Amino acid sequence: MESVGRLARRFGLSRTALLYYDRIGLLRPAARSTGNYREYGEEEVRRLEEICRYRRAGLPLSQVREVLERGAADRTAEVLSLRLEALNQEISRLREQQRIVVRLLQGRARMRRVRAMDKARWVELLRRSGLSDEDMERWHVEFERLQPAAHQDFLESLGISPEEIRRIRAWSRKGAHI
Amino acid sequence: MSRHATKQEWIELFQKTGLDRDQMNRWHHAFEQFYPEAHQGFLEWLQLPAKEITEIRAASKKEKP
Repeated sequence: MESVGRLARRFGLSRTALLYYDRIGLLRPAARSTGNYREYGEEEVRRLEEICRYRRAGLPLSQVREVLERGAADRTAEVLSLRLEALNQEISRLREQQRIVVRLLQGRARMRRVRAMDKARWVELLRRSGLSDEDMERWHVEFERLQPAAHQDFLESLGISPEEIRRIRAWSRKGAHI
Repeated sequence: MSRHATKQEWIELFQKTGLDRDQMNRWHHAFEQFYPEAHQGFLEWLQLPAKEITEIRAASKKEKP
């Protein structure tokens, strides 16, 4: 016979947990000692092993009690199938979160690199390629006409303020910067 | 409407602006020389495959404007 304390240590549980299992009728001691201490026998140990196995599968105590009832074989299969289904759903939810996190990280890395450019550097680069101020103006006008959303995104990536972006796009739409 | 321009759209944009092939090459070369990280970021923004990005950057390094 084993005491609550010994059994708890052996299974890595708290005494409180075993007292609770007794209170809800999940695992009752085999007997009481002369000092009225709970005593557990081999059958209780085997039952506790089963309880722990179902707990590791993620079943709540209420369901563990159900499946441990005598003659509950059908119910056990049903409970386990439902648990498996719930696990599969949880896994696909986590996979979706994983995909989103990866996409977010990639997006951040990309934006950081593009943001290494600012307006002054971009203008300098275009000037080195031989564009005049008029060419750059025409470039905005064409960008706005061909790809308005990408124009917005591009200006944002240069760290230009929302008001200035609005101004640039407004004169781009008019077709000239005056 | 896409928030990203494609490579073709970008080339068309430069052509409409009046840039010729030489100027575009010079632009890539300057981009790679002065802001290599941003050049990479820009090419990714165009959603080019990694292989093509590597090729463009390698060619930009060689280009003598």
